[in-house]
Amino acid sequence: MKQKEIVKMIIKYGIFIAGGICMFFPFLWLILASLQSEREIMLRPMVFIPEVFQWQNYVVLFKKYPLDKYYFNSFLVNSSITGVVLLTSSLAGYSLGKLSFPGRELIFKGILATMMFPVFLFLIPVYYLLKRVPFVGGNDIWGLGGVGFLHSYPALILPFIVNAWGIFLMRQFIIGIPNELLDAARIDGCSEFRIYANIILPLTKPALATLGIFIFIQQWNSFLWPLIITTSAPKIMTLPVGLQLLRVAFASARNQHYFLAGLVVGIVPMVILFLVLQRHYIKGIVMTGLKG
Amino acid sequence: MVKKQVRRRKRRKSKQALIGYLFLSPVFLFYSIFLVFPIGFSLYLSFHRWNMLTPPLKARYMGMKHFTYLLIQDETFLIVLKNTLFYALGTVFIGMILALIVALAFSRTKYSSIWRFVYFAPVVTPPVAIGMIWGYLYRPTDGLINTVLRWFYLPGQQWLSSPAQALPSIMITGMWAGVGFTMLIFIAGLKGIPEMYYDAARIDGANFWQAFWHITLPLLKPTILFVLVTGMIGAWQVFDLVFMMSSGGIDTGVVPFESVGVVALHMYQTAFRYMRMGRASAMAFILFLVVLAFTLIELRVLRRGGVESY
Repeated sequence: MKQKEIVKMIIKYGIFIAGGICMFFPFLWLILASLQSEREIMLRPMVFIPEVFQWQNYVVLFKKYPLDKYYFNSFLVNSSITGVVLLTSSLAGYSLGKLSFPGRELIFKGILATMMFPVFLFLIPVYYLLKRVPFVGGNDIWGLGGVGFLHSYPALILPFIVNAWGIFLMRQFIIGIPNELLDAARIDGCSEFRIYANIILPLTKPALATLGIFIFIQQWNSFLWPLIITTSAPKIMTLPVGLQLLRVAFASARNQHYFLAGLVVGIVPMVILFLVLQRHYIKGIVMTGLKG
Repeated sequence: MVKKQVRRRKRRKSKQALIGYLFLSPVFLFYSIFLVFPIGFSLYLSFHRWNMLTPPLKARYMGMKHFTYLLIQDETFLIVLKNTLFYALGTVFIGMILALIVALAFSRTKYSSIWRFVYFAPVVTPPVAIGMIWGYLYRPTDGLINTVLRWFYLPGQQWLSSPAQALPSIMITGMWAGVGFTMLIFIAGLKGIPEMYYDAARIDGANFWQAFWHITLPLLKPTILFVLVTGMIGAWQVFDLVFMMSSGGIDTGVVPFESVGVVALHMYQTAFRYMRMGRASAMAFILFLVVLAFTLIELRVLRRGGVESY
């Protein structure tokens, strides 16, 4: 019996350690390599730990490459999306969870079904739509003559301000709030909007936190749409698109250490944010899985 | 008196309906602009030839030509369809098995938050950065992976530089990036299985495998179905990783498009490089139908096994 337990432990920790090394080694190597000097990084056989940690790699990186600008753009775009998604999701979640009206279940199912459409159905039409918005970006009343919203932040924000998963999450959460609470407020003459603002919103704070963090991280990583939009508009370029261009900017082997430092800068802040807010984020994923 | 009450209740009900619709109005507005219109427009485009510069209503009508071209003449499209199928099946199934193994090992372990973090870091890393890091790791002459292989006297591989290995290499990266997410969903699913079933099995003398086959797996079916359906929908649309790794991270060498191209990448190039909006829209529709068919089959097969909750 004892022997069996030991074997079990060995298998278990074997899985952990082997898996853990596979998962974490790339990051560890990246961070160490980004702190090496130009000479060290070219040494063969490979050196892992730099003789002197070259922190100035990062200083030079920021001087040569506008990563701070991409950070700012990403932050602006993602916080706007997150804010509006929280609003639309909680409003719709309250409506679908607690108000009764004809067609409610059908609407809810329809919203869930939208998750199945591949994003590629939307790219071209939405691009064209944003180009034809009247009176902005040099457009006339017919939306012709200019670029519309294409070269400004709304192009990155508007297509993401409603999120089917967000509506689902908020509805599931709001449905659990006792009806007696809402009815009591109604009898006291509370309007539905005040119920939403003064009862629903405070009670759904944990769900809002989860949803907010989840959406923020998801958007932070989003690449395809920003790539399409910002390739011709570098002013509003977000971090993933900017990171992708690192390989062009530091293409020569002599600049490798800057390239790797750029990747670290692109990764580490989000990982730290995740570490701090782990609990909320993971709750979001778990709730995703519990659907149905 | 009663009549009055009924009327009042009715009025309150219709008022509630009005407010219900009002609270949903941003969603309706959004979906009509960013969902209904685009789908209709895409459908229109898939029957026309259009380059985004001329007025779309004057675009030349092509009938079914885009579809027949893509499915019969265009060898590239059929190849990328096949590549994507390979990618989707491989990453989703193997990834699921790996995630399940890790999740099983994780349940009832101390320090799990540290381990969880280790497995989870790739999930919060932009896929773009993951693609570039792995492009570096995979370098044939001096990449980390080949260096490690040589420590163990194993032959180094060509990885991204070889047409045969390029797509599987990207798949390994895809699984590495996604395993933390799937693992977490499995951990949540495992937590939902009541402990008493295992206690009862132990009393009856069942070993680990018997418990796994007869308790864990059947009760985990809704979770498996969820992972399968959402994983497939995502994998069919894979773009970021392939985009970053196919043209080579830095000097990883370049392999022909046919060996790594996926539908998303092919469509992106058709639309935004060659400005063939009509053909690209037709591709999007074919992709949609494929995804739909796969989802329905998955639901069908797994539901037959008694999953009613999805």
